[in-house]
Amino acid sequence: MVAADTDSGMTEASSNESQLIKQAAAGDSDAFGALVQPHLALFHNGIQRILGNTADTQDALQDALMSIHRDLPRFEGRSRFSSWGYRICLNAALMVRRSRIRIHDMERSDALAIGPFNDRGHHLEPEHLPEWQVEAQAHDLVERQEMRECLVRALDELPDSHRIVFVLKDLEDWETEDIARHLQVASGTVRQRLHRSRALLQARLRTFVLGGRS
Amino acid sequence: MTLLPSCKDVQTHLTEYAEGSLPLGRRIGIWIHLRLCKACAGFLRGMRALPGLAKRALAPPKETPEAAVKALADVQGMLSRRPKV
Repeated sequence: MVAADTDSGMTEASSNESQLIKQAAAGDSDAFGALVQPHLALFHNGIQRILGNTADTQDALQDALMSIHRDLPRFEGRSRFSSWGYRICLNAALMVRRSRIRIHDMERSDALAIGPFNDRGHHLEPEHLPEWQVEAQAHDLVERQEMRECLVRALDELPDSHRIVFVLKDLEDWETEDIARHLQVASGTVRQRLHRSRALLQARLRTFVLGGRS
Repeated sequence: MTLLPSCKDVQTHLTEYAEGSLPLGRRIGIWIHLRLCKACAGFLRGMRALPGLAKRALAPPKETPEAAVKALADVQGMLSRRPKV
């Protein structure tokens, strides 16, 4: 019975969404609002992760919402509306990103590894290095606002060319080849930027995620 | 460890190693190094844990940000001024 109730609930929600899509496509702005509102935080978040907390994010969200509305008649329901809309939002963010004039956004010479190392490239006193905690305990730390803020700050520190690679690969789960094609760079360049981003972020998060052995 | 890659060398190539894009000889050298060096193995664990931590830390907030609500209101305003289909 529970399953049947759940199925019936989902069918009802989906039927309601289909109805809202028809009404919104016909120009009903209230229906469009009701359709989009439950997913608005998701859409905004996806764009913000790519563009950072800037005025561009709001512009890209507006563009994306207009595109979603324009393309509603072509939505065939093969994927969930939220997934379809999210893809449109990511594309809008990537379009805005492309149009940005990028100054100081060149390949960086930051370290690709976290030391300190001796002159032969081996860790100095490895027995005193702290341990990265990957157990549930470390994941609980994410709940701390302080850590969230640290991660956002660290992401903002990355040059645009690196941030986009980290976001698409590690947050959006794109394949390296797809990122390379999209950014029109070699796969090796994507891996190098990704690695530099991961090393920088890992270094910044050390305070939160590393257990003290030293 | 002299015949093996150094810690710095290993850490520099861990993303390529994880993606399997390094030549076999380099992969084997790094694989062995990781079994001998706790610090580099820890760096790799951190690298693997990072996406999960970042996804949770940067998940959409429970409350829709005001800027997003305003963007939707602006779009609805534009739509309502258009002639209906």
